[in-house]
Amino acid sequence: MSGETRKALRQALAIGALGLLAGAAVHVPLLKRFVRGEFRETFLSRSEYPGVRLITLQEGEDLWAGGGAVFFDARPEGPYGEGHVPGALRLAAEEEDAWLSAVVEGVHRERTLVVYCEGGDCQSSLHLAKRLHDQGFKDVRVLAGGWKAWTEAGLPEEKSRDQE
Amino acid sequence: MIRNKAALFVFRTVLGGLFVYAGIVKVLEPLDFAQNIRNYRLVGQEFSFLAAIFLPWLEILAGAFLIAGVWRRGAALTISGLLVFFIVLTLVTMARGIDVDCGCFGSLSRKSGWGVVFEDLAMLLMGLYVLLSPTKKNKREASRELEVKPAEEP
Repeated sequence: MSGETRKALRQALAIGALGLLAGAAVHVPLLKRFVRGEFRETFLSRSEYPGVRLITLQEGEDLWAGGGAVFFDARPEGPYGEGHVPGALRLAAEEEDAWLSAVVEGVHRERTLVVYCEGGDCQSSLHLAKRLHDQGFKDVRVLAGGWKAWTEAGLPEEKSRDQE
Repeated sequence: MIRNKAALFVFRTVLGGLFVYAGIVKVLEPLDFAQNIRNYRLVGQEFSFLAAIFLPWLEILAGAFLIAGVWRRGAALTISGLLVFFIVLTLVTMARGIDVDCGCFGSLSRKSGWGVVFEDLAMLLMGLYVLLSPTKKNKREASRELEVKPAEEP
Protein backbone atom coordinates (compact mmCIF):
# COMPACT_ATOMS: atom_id res chain seq x y z
CA MET A 1 0.00 0.00 0.00
CA SER A 2 1.49 3.35 -1.02
CA GLY A 3 1.96 6.17 1.43
CA GLU A 4 -0.73 8.19 -0.31
CA THR A 5 -3.29 5.39 -0.03
CA ARG A 6 -2.52 4.90 3.63
CA LYS A 7 -2.89 8.62 4.19
CA ALA A 8 -6.28 8.65 2.46
CA LEU A 9 -7.40 5.70 4.59
CA ARG A 10 -6.26 7.44 7.77
CA GLN A 11 -8.17 10.58 6.75
CA ALA A 12 -11.29 8.52 6.00
CA LEU A 13 -11.06 6.86 9.42
CA ALA A 14 -10.68 10.25 11.06
CA ILE A 15 -13.76 11.52 9.22
CA GLY A 16 -15.64 8.43 10.44
CA ALA A 17 -14.57 9.11 14.02
CA LEU A 18 -15.62 12.76 13.75
CA GLY A 19 -18.97 11.57 12.36
CA LEU A 20 -19.49 9.37 15.42
CA LEU A 21 -18.67 12.27 17.75
CA ALA A 22 -20.93 14.72 15.91
CA GLY A 23 -23.83 12.25 15.78
CA ALA A 24 -23.52 11.46 19.47
CA ALA A 25 -23.21 15.13 20.43
CA VAL A 26 -26.17 16.35 18.39
CA HIS A 27 -28.53 13.51 19.29
CA VAL A 28 -27.86 13.26 23.04
CA PRO A 29 -31.60 13.43 23.93
CA LEU A 30 -32.53 10.73 21.39
CA LEU A 31 -29.63 8.51 22.47
CA LYS A 32 -30.69 8.87 26.11
CA ARG A 33 -34.20 7.73 25.23
CA PHE A 34 -32.72 4.84 23.23
CA VAL A 35 -30.61 3.75 26.21
CA ARG A 36 -33.73 3.90 28.40
CA GLY A 37 -35.34 1.37 26.07
CA GLU A 38 -37.35 3.51 23.69
CA PHE A 39 -37.48 2.88 19.90
CA ARG A 40 -37.00 -0.89 20.30
CA GLU A 41 -40.32 -1.73 18.66
CA THR A 42 -41.10 1.34 16.61
CA PHE A 43 -39.48 4.65 15.78
CA LEU A 44 -42.57 6.45 16.92
CA SER A 45 -41.74 9.38 19.18
CA ARG A 46 -43.78 9.15 22.38
CA SER A 47 -43.45 12.84 23.07
CA GLU A 48 -44.71 13.74 19.58
CA TYR A 49 -47.44 11.11 19.45
CA PRO A 50 -48.47 10.38 23.05
CA GLY A 51 -51.82 8.97 21.92
CA VAL A 52 -50.46 6.37 19.51
CA ARG A 53 -49.39 2.93 20.70
CA LEU A 54 -48.92 -0.61 19.44
CA ILE A 55 -51.26 -3.34 20.64
CA THR A 56 -51.18 -7.12 20.43
CA LEU A 57 -53.63 -9.27 18.50
CA GLN A 58 -55.37 -10.23 21.77
CA GLU A 59 -55.95 -6.58 22.69
CA GLY A 60 -57.17 -5.91 19.16
CA GLU A 61 -59.61 -8.81 19.34
CA ASP A 62 -60.92 -7.65 22.74
CA LEU A 63 -61.45 -4.12 21.43
CA TRP A 64 -63.27 -5.48 18.37
CA ALA A 65 -65.46 -7.81 20.46
CA GLY A 66 -66.24 -4.98 22.89
CA GLY A 67 -67.50 -2.90 20.00
CA GLY A 68 -66.21 0.35 21.45
CA ALA A 69 -63.45 0.99 18.94
CA VAL A 70 -63.54 2.13 15.33
CA PHE A 71 -61.34 -0.02 13.07
CA PHE A 72 -59.47 1.37 10.05
CA ASP A 73 -57.89 -0.76 7.34
CA ALA A 74 -54.88 0.95 5.75
CA ARG A 75 -54.47 -1.59 2.94
CA PRO A 76 -55.27 -0.98 -0.75
CA GLU A 77 -58.79 -1.54 -2.04
CA GLY A 78 -58.14 -5.00 -3.57
CA PRO A 79 -56.95 -6.82 -0.44
CA TYR A 80 -59.54 -4.94 1.63
CA GLY A 81 -62.32 -6.21 -0.64
CA GLU A 82 -61.13 -9.80 -0.33
CA GLY A 83 -61.39 -9.70 3.44
CA HIS A 84 -61.11 -7.31 6.37
CA VAL A 85 -61.94 -7.00 10.05
CA PRO A 86 -65.76 -6.85 10.22
CA GLY A 87 -66.84 -3.24 10.41
CA ALA A 88 -63.43 -1.82 9.53
CA LEU A 89 -63.43 1.22 7.26
CA ARG A 90 -60.88 1.40 4.49
CA LEU A 91 -58.64 4.42 4.81
CA ALA A 92 -55.35 4.39 2.88
CA ALA A 93 -52.46 6.09 4.65
CA GLU A 94 -51.76 8.28 1.60
CA GLU A 95 -55.31 9.66 1.25
CA GLU A 96 -55.64 13.41 0.71
CA ASP A 97 -56.09 15.46 3.88
CA ALA A 98 -59.59 16.53 2.82
CA TRP A 99 -60.69 12.93 2.23
CA LEU A 100 -59.21 11.76 5.52
CA SER A 101 -60.98 14.57 7.39
CA ALA A 102 -64.26 13.71 5.68
CA VAL A 103 -64.03 10.01 6.61
CA VAL A 104 -63.40 10.72 10.29
CA GLU A 105 -65.65 13.78 10.50
CA GLY A 106 -68.41 12.20 12.54
CA VAL A 107 -66.11 10.21 14.81
CA HIS A 108 -65.71 11.59 18.32
CA ARG A 109 -62.10 12.50 19.05
CA GLU A 110 -62.20 10.66 22.40
CA ARG A 111 -63.06 7.34 20.79
CA THR A 112 -60.55 4.52 20.52
CA LEU A 113 -59.32 3.88 16.99
CA VAL A 114 -57.58 0.72 15.85
CA VAL A 115 -55.59 0.75 12.61
CA TYR A 116 -53.91 -2.11 10.80
CA CYS A 117 -52.16 -2.93 7.52
CA GLU A 118 -50.90 -6.14 5.88
CA GLY A 119 -48.74 -7.23 8.79
CA GLY A 120 -45.08 -8.18 8.85
CA ASP A 121 -43.07 -5.02 8.32
CA CYS A 122 -45.88 -2.92 6.85
CA GLN A 123 -45.69 0.70 7.90
CA SER A 124 -48.88 2.19 6.48
CA SER A 125 -50.88 1.58 9.67
CA LEU A 126 -48.35 3.52 11.71
CA HIS A 127 -48.34 6.29 9.13
CA LEU A 128 -52.14 6.43 9.20
CA ALA A 129 -52.11 6.40 13.00
CA LYS A 130 -49.86 9.46 13.05
CA ARG A 131 -52.16 11.27 10.63
CA LEU A 132 -55.23 10.41 12.72
CA HIS A 133 -53.40 11.62 15.82
CA ASP A 134 -52.71 14.87 13.98
CA GLN A 135 -56.45 15.11 13.34
CA GLY A 136 -56.99 15.30 17.09
CA PHE A 137 -57.67 11.69 18.04
CA LYS A 138 -56.27 10.94 21.46
CA ASP A 139 -56.32 7.15 21.47
CA VAL A 140 -55.04 5.53 18.28
CA ARG A 141 -53.85 1.94 18.50
CA VAL A 142 -51.84 0.09 15.90
CA LEU A 143 -52.48 -3.62 15.57
CA ALA A 144 -48.90 -4.89 15.48
CA GLY A 145 -49.42 -8.17 13.59
CA GLY A 146 -51.73 -6.54 11.08
CA TRP A 147 -54.20 -8.37 8.88
CA LYS A 148 -51.85 -11.38 8.60
CA ALA A 149 -52.05 -12.09 12.34
CA TRP A 150 -55.82 -11.53 12.39
CA THR A 151 -56.59 -13.92 9.55
CA GLU A 152 -54.05 -16.53 10.67
CA ALA A 153 -55.71 -16.62 14.08
CA GLY A 154 -58.97 -17.49 12.34
CA LEU A 155 -60.79 -14.41 13.62
CA PRO A 156 -64.00 -13.25 11.91
CA GLU A 157 -63.67 -11.72 8.45
CA GLU A 158 -65.93 -9.65 6.27
CA LYS A 159 -65.83 -9.29 2.48
CA SER A 160 -66.86 -6.26 0.44
CA ARG A 161 -70.26 -6.75 -1.23
CA ASP A 162 -68.89 -7.02 -4.78
CA GLN A 163 -66.47 -9.73 -3.72
CA GLU A 164 -69.16 -12.05 -2.35
CA MET B 1 -4.26 20.92 -16.88
CA ILE B 2 -6.56 23.90 -16.40
CA ARG B 3 -9.49 21.81 -17.60
CA ASN B 4 -8.61 19.06 -15.11
CA LYS B 5 -8.42 21.59 -12.33
CA ALA B 6 -11.84 22.98 -13.25
CA ALA B 7 -13.36 19.48 -13.41
CA LEU B 8 -11.86 18.67 -10.02
CA PHE B 9 -13.35 21.83 -8.52
CA VAL B 10 -16.81 21.22 -10.05
CA PHE B 11 -16.90 17.56 -8.99
CA ARG B 12 -15.75 18.41 -5.48
CA THR B 13 -18.37 21.11 -5.08
CA VAL B 14 -21.29 19.21 -6.65
CA LEU B 15 -20.58 15.89 -4.93
CA GLY B 16 -19.73 17.51 -1.61
CA GLY B 17 -22.83 19.69 -1.82
CA LEU B 18 -25.11 16.73 -2.53
CA PHE B 19 -23.70 14.82 0.44
CA VAL B 20 -23.97 17.76 2.81
CA TYR B 21 -27.57 18.32 1.71
CA ALA B 22 -28.50 14.63 1.98
CA GLY B 23 -26.96 14.51 5.45
CA ILE B 24 -28.69 17.62 6.78
CA VAL B 25 -32.11 16.42 5.60
CA LYS B 26 -31.59 13.19 7.56
CA VAL B 27 -30.23 14.87 10.69
CA LEU B 28 -33.44 16.90 10.88
CA GLU B 29 -35.65 13.77 10.83
CA PRO B 30 -33.61 11.04 12.50
CA LEU B 31 -36.57 8.79 13.34
CA ASP B 32 -37.93 8.91 9.80
CA PHE B 33 -34.51 7.99 8.48
CA ALA B 34 -34.25 5.16 11.01
CA GLN B 35 -37.53 3.81 9.68
CA ASN B 36 -36.18 4.11 6.13
CA ILE B 37 -33.19 1.98 7.07
CA ARG B 38 -35.40 -0.54 8.87
CA ASN B 39 -37.60 -0.85 5.78
CA TYR B 40 -34.68 -2.33 3.83
CA ARG B 41 -35.13 -5.36 6.13
CA LEU B 42 -31.40 -5.90 6.30
CA VAL B 43 -30.63 -4.85 9.86
CA GLY B 44 -32.64 -4.86 13.08
CA GLN B 45 -34.38 -2.10 14.96
CA GLU B 46 -31.44 -1.15 17.19
CA PHE B 47 -28.88 -1.02 14.39
CA SER B 48 -31.27 1.01 12.21
CA PHE B 49 -31.57 3.57 15.00
CA LEU B 50 -27.82 3.88 15.53
CA ALA B 51 -27.10 4.06 11.79
CA ALA B 52 -29.67 6.87 11.50
CA ILE B 53 -27.87 8.79 14.24
CA PHE B 54 -24.36 8.50 12.79
CA LEU B 55 -24.57 7.94 9.02
CA PRO B 56 -25.91 11.44 8.17
CA TRP B 57 -22.97 13.03 10.00
CA LEU B 58 -20.54 10.92 8.02
CA GLU B 59 -22.19 12.28 4.85
CA ILE B 60 -22.11 15.90 6.07
CA LEU B 61 -18.49 15.81 7.23
CA ALA B 62 -17.17 13.96 4.18
CA GLY B 63 -19.09 16.39 1.93
CA ALA B 64 -17.84 19.43 3.80
CA PHE B 65 -14.22 18.24 3.75
CA LEU B 66 -14.53 17.57 0.02
CA ILE B 67 -15.83 21.08 -0.68
CA ALA B 68 -13.20 22.68 1.54
CA GLY B 69 -10.46 20.65 -0.09
CA VAL B 70 -9.19 19.54 3.31
CA TRP B 71 -8.29 15.83 3.58
CA ARG B 72 -9.56 15.73 0.02
CA ARG B 73 -8.65 12.14 -0.78
CA GLY B 74 -9.88 10.86 2.57
CA ALA B 75 -13.21 12.58 1.99
CA ALA B 76 -13.41 11.24 -1.58
CA LEU B 77 -12.58 7.76 -0.30
CA THR B 78 -15.33 7.96 2.34
CA ILE B 79 -17.90 9.17 -0.19
CA SER B 80 -16.89 6.61 -2.82
CA GLY B 81 -17.07 3.86 -0.20
CA LEU B 82 -20.56 4.99 0.85
CA LEU B 83 -21.69 5.10 -2.79
CA VAL B 84 -20.40 1.57 -3.48
CA PHE B 85 -22.33 0.46 -0.39
CA PHE B 86 -25.52 2.28 -1.53
CA ILE B 87 -25.29 0.72 -5.01
CA VAL B 88 -24.83 -2.81 -3.64
CA LEU B 89 -27.63 -2.22 -1.12
CA THR B 90 -30.02 -1.02 -3.84
CA LEU B 91 -29.21 -3.96 -6.14
CA VAL B 92 -29.62 -6.48 -3.31
CA THR B 93 -32.93 -4.88 -2.31
CA MET B 94 -34.17 -5.02 -5.91
CA ALA B 95 -33.09 -8.66 -6.20
CA ARG B 96 -34.99 -9.49 -3.00
CA GLY B 97 -38.07 -7.82 -4.49
CA ILE B 98 -38.49 -5.38 -1.60
CA ASP B 99 -40.39 -2.22 -2.42
CA VAL B 100 -38.85 0.56 -0.37
CA ASP B 101 -38.26 4.31 -0.45
CA CYS B 102 -34.55 4.76 -1.05
CA GLY B 103 -34.27 7.28 1.80
CA CYS B 104 -31.55 9.08 -0.13
CA PHE B 105 -32.73 12.66 0.35
CA GLY B 106 -35.28 12.45 3.16
CA SER B 107 -38.86 13.16 2.15
CA LEU B 108 -37.77 13.91 -1.45
CA SER B 109 -36.86 10.26 -1.84
CA ARG B 110 -38.20 8.06 -4.54
CA LYS B 111 -38.50 4.30 -4.74
CA SER B 112 -35.32 2.32 -4.64
CA GLY B 113 -34.56 1.13 -8.20
CA TRP B 114 -32.45 1.55 -11.32
CA GLY B 115 -32.75 5.35 -11.22
CA VAL B 116 -31.04 5.38 -7.84
CA VAL B 117 -28.33 2.97 -9.07
CA PHE B 118 -27.49 5.17 -12.08
CA GLU B 119 -27.45 8.34 -9.97
CA ASP B 120 -25.14 6.70 -7.46
CA LEU B 121 -22.90 5.45 -10.29
CA ALA B 122 -22.63 8.98 -11.71
CA MET B 123 -21.69 10.28 -8.26
CA LEU B 124 -19.24 7.41 -7.80
CA LEU B 125 -17.44 8.41 -11.03
CA MET B 126 -17.06 11.95 -9.67
CA GLY B 127 -15.84 10.56 -6.35
CA LEU B 128 -13.25 8.32 -8.01
CA TYR B 129 -12.06 11.22 -10.20
CA VAL B 130 -11.43 13.32 -7.10
CA LEU B 131 -9.88 10.37 -5.26
CA LEU B 132 -7.45 9.54 -8.07
CA SER B 133 -6.47 13.12 -8.98
CA PRO B 134 -2.91 13.81 -7.87
CA THR B 135 -2.44 15.87 -4.76
CA LYS B 136 -0.30 19.03 -4.79
CA LYS B 137 2.60 17.15 -3.22
CA ASN B 138 2.44 14.47 -5.93
CA LYS B 139 2.44 17.13 -8.61
CA ARG B 140 5.48 18.83 -7.12
CA GLU B 141 7.35 15.54 -7.07
CA ALA B 142 6.33 14.78 -10.64
CA SER B 143 7.52 18.18 -11.90
CA ARG B 144 10.82 17.83 -9.98
CA GLU B 145 11.43 14.54 -11.75
CA LEU B 146 10.80 16.22 -15.09
CA GLU B 147 13.27 18.95 -14.26
CA VAL B 148 15.94 16.52 -13.19
CA LYS B 149 15.69 14.17 -16.13
CA PRO B 150 17.07 16.41 -18.93
CA ALA B 151 20.15 17.15 -16.84
CA GLU B 152 20.94 13.44 -16.62
CA GLU B 153 21.16 13.13 -20.37
CA PRO B 154 24.67 13.26 -21.77
